[in-house]
Amino acid sequence: MKKFPIWSWLMILLGFTYFLLPLIGTLDFSLRILKDQLSLDAYVNVLNAVRFQNTFTYSFTMALWTIVACTLLVAPTAYWVHLKLPHLRPVIEFITLLTFVVPAILLVFGLIRIYSRPPLSLMESEIGSDFLLVMGYVSLALPYMYRAVDNGLRAIDVRTLTEAAQSLGAGWRIILFSVIFPNLRAALLSGAFLTFATVIGEFTIATFLARPAFGPYMANLGQTRPYESTALTIISLALTWASIGMIQLLGRGAQGQLVGTR
Amino acid sequence: MSFLELNNVRKTFGQTDAVRAFNLQVERGEFVSFLGPSGCGKTTTLRMIAGFELPTSGAIVINGDDVTYKPPQKRNTGMVFQSYALFPNMTVGDNIGFGLKIAGEPKSAIQKRVDEMLAIIKMEKFGARYPYQLSGGQQQRVALARAIAIRPQVLLLDEPLSALDAKIRVSLRQEIRAIQQKLGITTIYVTHDQEEALSLSDRVVVMNDGRIEQVGTPFEIYNFPTTEFAAQFVGTLNTIQATVRDAARGALIVANQEITTSQKLDGLRNGDAHSIAIRPERVSFAADGKKPNVLNVRIENITFLGSIVRVQVSAGENIFYMDTFNNPFLSLPKIGDHAEVTFSKEAVLVLKNK
Amino acid sequence: MQTTTTLPAPSAPRARAFSFAWLGVVPFFLFAILFLILPSGILLIGSVQNARGEFTLENFGGLFQESIANSYILSLQLSVTTAVVGGIFGFLLAYAAILGGLPRSVRTTLLTFSGVASNFAGVPLAFAFIATLGRLGFVTVLLKDLLGFDLNQTGFSVFGFLSLTLTYIYFQFPLMVLIIAPALDGLKKEWREAAENLGASAWQYWRIVAFPVLLPSILGTMILLFSNAFGAVATAYALTGGNFPLATILIFRQIRGEVLGNPGLGYAVAVGMVIIMGGSLAIYYFLQRKTERWLKQ
Ligand SMILES: Nc1ncnc2c1ncn2[C@@H]1O[C@H](COP(=O)(O)OP(=O)(O)OP(=O)(O)O)[C@@H](O)[C@H]1O
Ligand SMILES: [Mg+2]
Repeated sequence: MKKFPIWSWLMILLGFTYFLLPLIGTLDFSLRILKDQLSLDAYVNVLNAVRFQNTFTYSFTMALWTIVACTLLVAPTAYWVHLKLPHLRPVIEFITLLTFVVPAILLVFGLIRIYSRPPLSLMESEIGSDFLLVMGYVSLALPYMYRAVDNGLRAIDVRTLTEAAQSLGAGWRIILFSVIFPNLRAALLSGAFLTFATVIGEFTIATFLARPAFGPYMANLGQTRPYESTALTIISLALTWASIGMIQLLGRGAQGQLVGTR
Repeated sequence: MSFLELNNVRKTFGQTDAVRAFNLQVERGEFVSFLGPSGCGKTTTLRMIAGFELPTSGAIVINGDDVTYKPPQKRNTGMVFQSYALFPNMTVGDNIGFGLKIAGEPKSAIQKRVDEMLAIIKMEKFGARYPYQLSGGQQQRVALARAIAIRPQVLLLDEPLSALDAKIRVSLRQEIRAIQQKLGITTIYVTHDQEEALSLSDRVVVMNDGRIEQVGTPFEIYNFPTTEFAAQFVGTLNTIQATVRDAARGALIVANQEITTSQKLDGLRNGDAHSIAIRPERVSFAADGKKPNVLNVRIENITFLGSIVRVQVSAGENIFYMDTFNNPFLSLPKIGDHAEVTFSKEAVLVLKNK
Repeated sequence: MQTTTTLPAPSAPRARAFSFAWLGVVPFFLFAILFLILPSGILLIGSVQNARGEFTLENFGGLFQESIANSYILSLQLSVTTAVVGGIFGFLLAYAAILGGLPRSVRTTLLTFSGVASNFAGVPLAFAFIATLGRLGFVTVLLKDLLGFDLNQTGFSVFGFLSLTLTYIYFQFPLMVLIIAPALDGLKKEWREAAENLGASAWQYWRIVAFPVLLPSILGTMILLFSNAFGAVATAYALTGGNFPLATILIFRQIRGEVLGNPGLGYAVAVGMVIIMGGSLAIYYFLQRKTERWLKQ
């Protein structure tokens, strides 16, 4: 028999302590809005706050738009590059890596500089700013999405599938929507959940584009309402858990990271 | 006392009996193959010799030294893995010299031995390359050199060629045999490829379900299999249902016709049903010259295999094959024809019933 | 072999097929130009212009003035510390879970937790640490009640460097776990056996084979952690209220028009960061290629 792996267990114990302590601390804190007893009042207050509802709805909507835009941008491009322009792969990969080099704070710096003044003064209008926000988020999600889809495509041998579909008389639309995309569903969905988890509480870009988003609201609340803001922390954590849990269920592991939103 | 002995070695993994009561003596310098179907325990036995698995019971003795419970580091065996297992971060030279470096040999001695090994595997120019810069066959040669560089008492190879393509397989196996004979190194070679086992080995161990079915020279294994499994696994074999007519004389009945065997019908009584076996190549048409046994058969099918034509015939309930050399000037019977086939007494193998 | 497909026949005019294929990637490149390349480019252009729009390299000279240099140094300190500490911690954790002889469920749980923790960052993470290590935080109170140890007396502040380091490590080590886990899986059982067979002890195997094989991955991942921390701003901003002079926070305040006063200098600070991030990414790529080459079969 092997001896009991005591060092391994100790290490794991240490790791999980690090994981859990701040979460327990936060949970504990969020329940102490009344001096002498535990209560859920902080949660009730937050959930009833109109600004919470508005900003959360706003960020939720923007997250959905981001997912849609990113999917429409990445999936057809990756497919097309696989099929017809394999020599462009390095170029595309380089572009997706740009977001690692230009984190959110620098990206928004550049975006403001360009789009707050003519000829491309998108930031003049609400809708233009929303559009810019979504585009910023798409940039952040790009590397992960692209890699997920690219791996997915590599796994299914796109060329043969496409040729098989063509030989059976399928047109492009049928090929894309009933042959290729269904095979990429797991990749796209896990990308979507990861994007959601990151974008829903995003702070930096939303702040500088002056959007009524959830992240800036949370940051703001932290300065005035400590208990409510910790309750929000628990809520965001639950959302992150749910998203990552979905990714796990999809069986693609929690390998995905978006850099630059921290 | 033999050089390598496995005495009553058993290994169980939970509920599975991977190896049961394994007894084998290997002489110094001998090349022995383990041959058997997937999951029969070849690798497990090899790994017990190397020390990666501990036997559940039994003993393993190398050169008079009981190594049963020694760790792998202390056994001085050289192992070659199916997946090469070269260290990716080291050059070919460093891989080959790894064991000597561990043993603390001086640099100059290591270098000398590495050069020697590179010469043996005919890869003198490759010493500074990394494994990823080599083909599969080259990697396996380096793995072989790495294993023999430490002058092991026993060389162990676990299906070393199965990841390579057919051509290289043949040339590399001859190379392995040549090196083994040149160095006189005691070798155990695991394979499920009968051609490999037959062409390389001094002796072949046919294994099935954790047991030894038969041990013998390739000639014995092929020509005189003692169990139905060994007979079936090595080469093609016809199994025929017969009834004993006269055990003392070796006479049997097949489809109401009498044949005789030169093998003993020990323990069988007249009237017993028993399986016999005949290799297809030992059966021929009686028209080409009669041998002691003649059977009347019907031609069922004819398959052209290149140098050989395989004819399927039936005698009563029994269906079996015969092989004849392809000869364009010889006319073969047609399907549905009746013909006489013939074979010697020695060709009739009496198999141990299970 | 002939195949019967209705693919555009190879005899179709090459030039036409070619230009048509290019059209498929136009949206992507349009996006990349408008929302990635142009914004990055404008920073670069801005950094080599003075207030009148003339070409100058003066802005980069300004990077060496004390407050800016210090904020770079602080950012580097924080990023290197969290990358190294988080990297080692994450590596040991992953090693324990994957090769440490623990049940497989431990590994699955660890990877799930790491997936969550590495994505749990920014504003809520900062709040979590304030709630834990702040003046009345959970751990602070716990330490005082249980051990009589007063964290606040030690000069520790939840808004300081140490606290920020601990906070960053919270997303750094899970990232390490996630990225290094496949590399640990890639250590072949046969390497260990081959080494043992050739006489190597467990420690020798580890020192001569396993560690050198893993080293590029470990270093590469640490570099990724470095840039991950170097570009971060939301966590630090929310934790310290923007009073902690990291390079990213300097830019944050510059965009708000609170500091520097000189726009060109702001762009130069940004470009300086891009250069550091780009350099580390290049090193990461180099190391990555090395392991990939080793491990391809
Ligand atoms: N570590 C293990 N744990 C449990 N069962 C095992 C283990 N190793 C081998 N076995 C079982 O022992 C039996 C023999 O396995 P072994 O690997 O020796 O077969 P083999 O003859 O080498 O087969 P192959 O030709 O496929 O390599 C198999 O049933 C296998 O499932
Ligand atoms: Mg095997």
